Amino acid sequence: MTSLASKTPSSVRGGLLDLNQLWRSLPQALAKLDPRALWRNPVMFIVEVGSVFTTVLALTDPSVLAWIITVWLWLTVVFANLAEAVAEGRGKAQAAALRAAKQDTMAYLEDGREIAATELKQGDVVVVEAGQVIPGDGDVIEGIASVDESAITGESAPVIRESGGDRSAVTGGTKVLSDRIVVRITQKPGESFVDRMIALVEGANRQKTPNEIALNILLAALTIIFLLSVVTLQPLAIFSKAYQAAAPDTIAINAHGVTGIVLVSLIVCLIPTTIGALLSAIGIAGMDRLVQRNVLAMSGRAVEAAGDVNTLLLDKTGTITLGNRQASEFVPVDGVSASELADAAQLSSLADETPEGRSIVVLAKNEFGLREREPGLMTDATFVPFTAQTRMSGVDIEPSLQSGEGRAVGAVAGGRQIRKGAAGAVIKWVGHSSDEVSEIVDGISASGGTPLVVAEKGRILGVIHLKDVVKSGMRARFDEMRKMGIRTVMITGDNPRTAAAIAAEAGVDDFLAEATPEDKLALIKKEQEGGRLVAMTGDGTNDAPALAQADVGVAMNTGTSAAKEAGNMVDLDSDPTKLIEIVEIGKQLLITRGALTTFSIANDIAKYFAIIPAIFAAVYPGLDALNVMRLHSPGSAILSAVIFNALVIVALIPLALRGVRYRPSSASALLRRNLWIYGLGGVIVPFLGIKLIDLIIQFIPGI
Amino acid sequence: MAGWLFVITLVLAVAAAYRPLGDYLYRVVSGRKSNVVERGIYRLVGVDPNTEQTWGVYARSVLAFSAVSILFLYLFLRVQDKLWLSLGFDGVPTHIAWNTAVSFVTNTNWQAYSGESTMGHLAQMAGLSVQNFVSASVGIAVAVALIRGFAARKSQTLGNFWVDLTRITLRVLLPIAVLATLVFMIGGMVQNLSGGTDVTTLTGATQHITGGPVASQEAIKELGTNGGGFYNTNSAHPFENPTTWTNWIQLFLILCIPFAMPRVFGRMVGQNRQGYAIVAVMSVLALASIALTVGFEVHGGGTVPQAAGAAMEGKDVRFGVPNSATFGAVTTLTSTGAVNSFLDSYTSFGGMMPMVNMMLGEVAPGGVGAGLYGLLILATITVFVAGLMVGRTPEYVGKKIGAREMKLASLYFLVTPAVVLIGTAAAFATGHNSTALNTGPHGLSEVLYAFTSAGNNNGSAFAGITVNTPWWDTALGLAMLLGRFLPIILVLALAGSLARQKPVPESEGTLPTHQPLFVGLVVGVTIVLVALTFLPALALGPIAEGLS
Amino acid sequence: MRLPTWLSQHLAALRALLVMTVLLGLAYPLAFVAVGHLPGLSHKANGSMVSAGSTLIGQSFTDADGNPVPKYFQSRPSAAGDGYDPTSTAASNLGPESVVDTADAKSLLTQVCERSLAIGKLENVDGSRPYCTSDGVGAVLAVFYRDGLTGPVTRAVSVNQTGTPFIATYEGVTVESAKNGEDYVAEGGVITPIRGDAPAKPVVPADAVTASGSGLDPDISVAYANLQAPRIARERNLSPVRVHQLIEEHTEGRALGFMGEPAVNVLELNLALDGK
Repeated sequence: MTSLASKTPSSVRGGLLDLNQLWRSLPQALAKLDPRALWRNPVMFIVEVGSVFTTVLALTDPSVLAWIITVWLWLTVVFANLAEAVAEGRGKAQAAALRAAKQDTMAYLEDGREIAATELKQGDVVVVEAGQVIPGDGDVIEGIASVDESAITGESAPVIRESGGDRSAVTGGTKVLSDRIVVRITQKPGESFVDRMIALVEGANRQKTPNEIALNILLAALTIIFLLSVVTLQPLAIFSKAYQAAAPDTIAINAHGVTGIVLVSLIVCLIPTTIGALLSAIGIAGMDRLVQRNVLAMSGRAVEAAGDVNTLLLDKTGTITLGNRQASEFVPVDGVSASELADAAQLSSLADETPEGRSIVVLAKNEFGLREREPGLMTDATFVPFTAQTRMSGVDIEPSLQSGEGRAVGAVAGGRQIRKGAAGAVIKWVGHSSDEVSEIVDGISASGGTPLVVAEKGRILGVIHLKDVVKSGMRARFDEMRKMGIRTVMITGDNPRTAAAIAAEAGVDDFLAEATPEDKLALIKKEQEGGRLVAMTGDGTNDAPALAQADVGVAMNTGTSAAKEAGNMVDLDSDPTKLIEIVEIGKQLLITRGALTTFSIANDIAKYFAIIPAIFAAVYPGLDALNVMRLHSPGSAILSAVIFNALVIVALIPLALRGVRYRPSSASALLRRNLWIYGLGGVIVPFLGIKLIDLIIQFIPGI
Repeated sequence: MAGWLFVITLVLAVAAAYRPLGDYLYRVVSGRKSNVVERGIYRLVGVDPNTEQTWGVYARSVLAFSAVSILFLYLFLRVQDKLWLSLGFDGVPTHIAWNTAVSFVTNTNWQAYSGESTMGHLAQMAGLSVQNFVSASVGIAVAVALIRGFAARKSQTLGNFWVDLTRITLRVLLPIAVLATLVFMIGGMVQNLSGGTDVTTLTGATQHITGGPVASQEAIKELGTNGGGFYNTNSAHPFENPTTWTNWIQLFLILCIPFAMPRVFGRMVGQNRQGYAIVAVMSVLALASIALTVGFEVHGGGTVPQAAGAAMEGKDVRFGVPNSATFGAVTTLTSTGAVNSFLDSYTSFGGMMPMVNMMLGEVAPGGVGAGLYGLLILATITVFVAGLMVGRTPEYVGKKIGAREMKLASLYFLVTPAVVLIGTAAAFATGHNSTALNTGPHGLSEVLYAFTSAGNNNGSAFAGITVNTPWWDTALGLAMLLGRFLPIILVLALAGSLARQKPVPESEGTLPTHQPLFVGLVVGVTIVLVALTFLPALALGPIAEGLS
Repeated sequence: MRLPTWLSQHLAALRALLVMTVLLGLAYPLAFVAVGHLPGLSHKANGSMVSAGSTLIGQSFTDADGNPVPKYFQSRPSAAGDGYDPTSTAASNLGPESVVDTADAKSLLTQVCERSLAIGKLENVDGSRPYCTSDGVGAVLAVFYRDGLTGPVTRAVSVNQTGTPFIATYEGVTVESAKNGEDYVAEGGVITPIRGDAPAKPVVPADAVTASGSGLDPDISVAYANLQAPRIARERNLSPVRVHQLIEEHTEGRALGFMGEPAVNVLELNLALDGK
């Protein structure tokens, strides 16, 4: 389980790409050349149509240039397919592993029948014994068992599943390690969690997300514009060539206007092939990055929505605080030394195995060097456990002088009786109180802590200050969130005073105290009413309505089926802090698309400076002034542009899969940074790239 | 130096008018109280000023009004010989009447005819001038409807077209036009119903001095960014632009409303800084363009300007080169299309600039209303790409730019380039480019200019080309019609779609659309998109000519 | 009976248009026609007429044959009709690279050269200009290269001259004179204007050799007026000082010091010379 504390606030990273992967995906890339498949990507479809056209031209009127251009146009399409194939390939491997877990499972129905897992219907009740694989998703209705869920979570430590409560959901394909449980199947045939997971990681029925659709529209519009601007150029070219009778026919232009090969090259170079080629790979890779973090998004839409989130609802316990209160201070009353109090507190807590109790022992050791005594060795001590009635725990020590341990503490004749517990209970036990004690108690409560009063028979020694410990690094994390424009709201069952104190310490923007599931739902609705998108995590059945209402609802895998069904993501690690990472991945996905679109469009400027003079300087020599890169010849200029256009796709595949680097910061800072890199870079890089390619290919004879 | 002062004073004057005029416009379009005259008009027209229209109804009202206007104007021109004050001119031939009717209703004011030898005074006043007013109002009304879309909270309606039309015409255009007419008359512009006077010149020849209600038409011609001249030589004609200072006033009138519209935007969406950002984009583009145009003309490159010693061909002495170039740039940056000097004889690059200005999509600052909605579309496209780059679903002034919004914005952005490029290519493919006066690249420029001007509803011309042939009149008429009403429909649809949305509150994660970075980005996107679309065609026209 | 929506919508549109037409197309302009009758405005509203025309509208000061009348300051060239015709105002619309004469029309360059030569003669000054031949046409060669646009020159033709070419050789090739009706560009010649050695700032100012935009330009530049001053003084037996004084009196400076260019109103100046 990744803890927030261990994760420095830094960029989201994804998997790396190895070259073998490119090679392995090649057959699939070639299969994707099928125009029926390519039709879904209009930009690349046009490149393919152009490639077919130039192939025909190269066959009927062969020349070195024609063939090289044709080859590179085909490569452009292949590279685009390769990007998609590589992205899909990663998911496929994962899916294969999942499928293996699903193979040949048998289901043993309660009534003794034995059927194949695939034939299970909703509502069937099955019995699973130790060593058997759970045949389908469902809820435990009887028994308790430890279950190995590594097949889906990758986590080898077994988890407990039991009937009732929030740990009743089991997943098909996981294995019962011990005991026996009875499970009611909740899935429909073929729609199990694993089935859905396989479909998701494979990207089989990947649907375009809203932003992807919008971007596709923009790309289609740009493609049409460039298509128009090139096609309508032809009559103008014919006119110009005819007017300037002195202009000789070249490989680029003759009496029939711009030659077919060059016209296609110009179109391919201008339409946004870079982003067109990488768009679907970016989407698949974005989902993949989530899967790598053991988060399953039920739709791409949810991933995008994560990037848009305005309000993050975070459960206090486990997300913001370590989950348990810990002793932070011993506050003695007048006349008692702190070490005296610490000693008494320690004694009373020796047998207290609750985290709070352990923390008291630890604090006493750290602050006052009091070594922990083994309760088992203290034969003269009787430990009084905590009960709901007494609301106290403590120790009674027999008045025995033999006990070295006891003496060392400073013996009091007549033995000792020490109690610690809630203020009211302890005061009642002592029989009287003082203003001083109530002052200390109130002070601790006001600061959000929990006071534990320590008393020795007849006398109050002081108060232990227990407090919720906020995970380290949370404040920085929330500051980042704020910079990203995300409001964090802490949800807690604590009273408002305690909640306020912790909220202030953690640095969240707001809190919801004494929260009931209804309060949560109401809060989400209120936020949404104001046009804000809300993300939350949840695991219990009573979280289900809120999870369903939230725009991004992340259900814990340990949670109930109802919760998993209601959310649109499932975190297999059941780590509530994952929400923050999910938001970052959502943003990174959008940023990658935007950055590569900008890069792609900015590229066109250099391509114009390569191709326009290459075509038309032959008619109007003055236009050679536009050949700012001083490219070798018209042929080499056009070819360089085409080659660059193809190579840049391959060069950007890793970026598309990994996603651009994302650092949480304000929108202006992000825009400025990405604009410099991908906007300005997009203008400059192709000038350098085309020139470089030209320097090399000018040596090819016939160019 | 004086030339730059001319520009600087204009900038200062327009800047000074930004807030008061913008605020006034805002009050006019958001006010609800009608005065007696307006109530009378609503009753006559038969509309209830309190009903709100959905985008569909609003669009249909715009189209109905424009369709009726085209038909009415067409018939008017056809039968002008049967009406008063025709000065003995015949009814306008069918293809020219069609072209002219479309031209004035679309706020283009492309003139395939010569004013002084075609149009009687009544046709000029009650036909053409009326459209100068109402076509301008339509542009502003559509822009306001789009702003309402941005400003609305989950609303189905965009206001009432008839109310907008009436209020804008009566409360904004008419009062300013009245004032301007008076100033122009003091400057020496003619305003009579005379059919002209024959005079004997000093050397004994006869000269026919024309008359007409020029000043009143001139005022709205500039204020409404229409540009259709009373005479053939438009604002070069001494009766249409008698002095150097009327020249300045004309430019001010042209610029004041388009530059004040962003203020209306800022006010209505409740963030004045959004208005400042838009006006900054307009200003950067406009100033760069004016500086380049003036620079190219003053430099006077090219064989003939070099031979003459200055690019004075087609320019009048009183305006000189710098002020003429400024006028040429301003009237093409706005969709006015008036000229006080003849662009066809500009230097190659000086003449390219007006073309580029129009190719920008008439957004810097563009025609009244039309410029703002054009720029808001470009800003929307910019927001989309930039918004992705900050990792959120893009939003502009609180409205999400989703698939539907992108579809409409992209289509809008496609229309004009498509009209211009297809039209130009068609002219060459069918040989109709032969009516160009000049040869070679300059002849190509004349054809390209014609369709650029028509498609963008500008109306200026590389006037050497002969365009009063049936093919040209029909083709350019279609270009003007498509270039005006397709975008209007798309804008209103976009407005409707935006209005239905619930606004998203602004946060630190929202792309700030009021900062210099965004302004620079919109400028960049505008220039790059235009350059990428039109560079090939420009390379064979003015660029080839200028680099020879 | 209720009308269909589309029809009632169009009828509303028609009513709106008619209302607007009455208001904006009749009431508004006619009111200002009335205003134009007010004293103080009526002169201007009626065209700023004087005894021999309008001070705003330029006119030709030529005789019936089109030759300049020497006792008058001359206006700029005009493309309006046959010159300064207010019923057909126009500019030349010829482009900056209009340099090749055709059978039906002279190029803009040749027109400039021609005018410069004529004015030079009239005013007794040097009428030479860059890109102009000494006989007043555009100095333009059609150059033929071996490989179309490159390679050695194989042939050169002075396209605007049928007589002796303005230079004998170009790049070692003898320059031919043009034959009527030949299109040398179509034959594969590359149009090459030759600058020649004329001064960069010709004596005859630019406005004197270029047509105005309106075709009715009432003004000339101060430089052009000054160029004509000696002739006027000579023809009218006036002292040059007096002529310059008159020029100055009829020079309209820049409005507010920065608008437009100083301009000399030719009609007013000539009227002043005539003592009217």
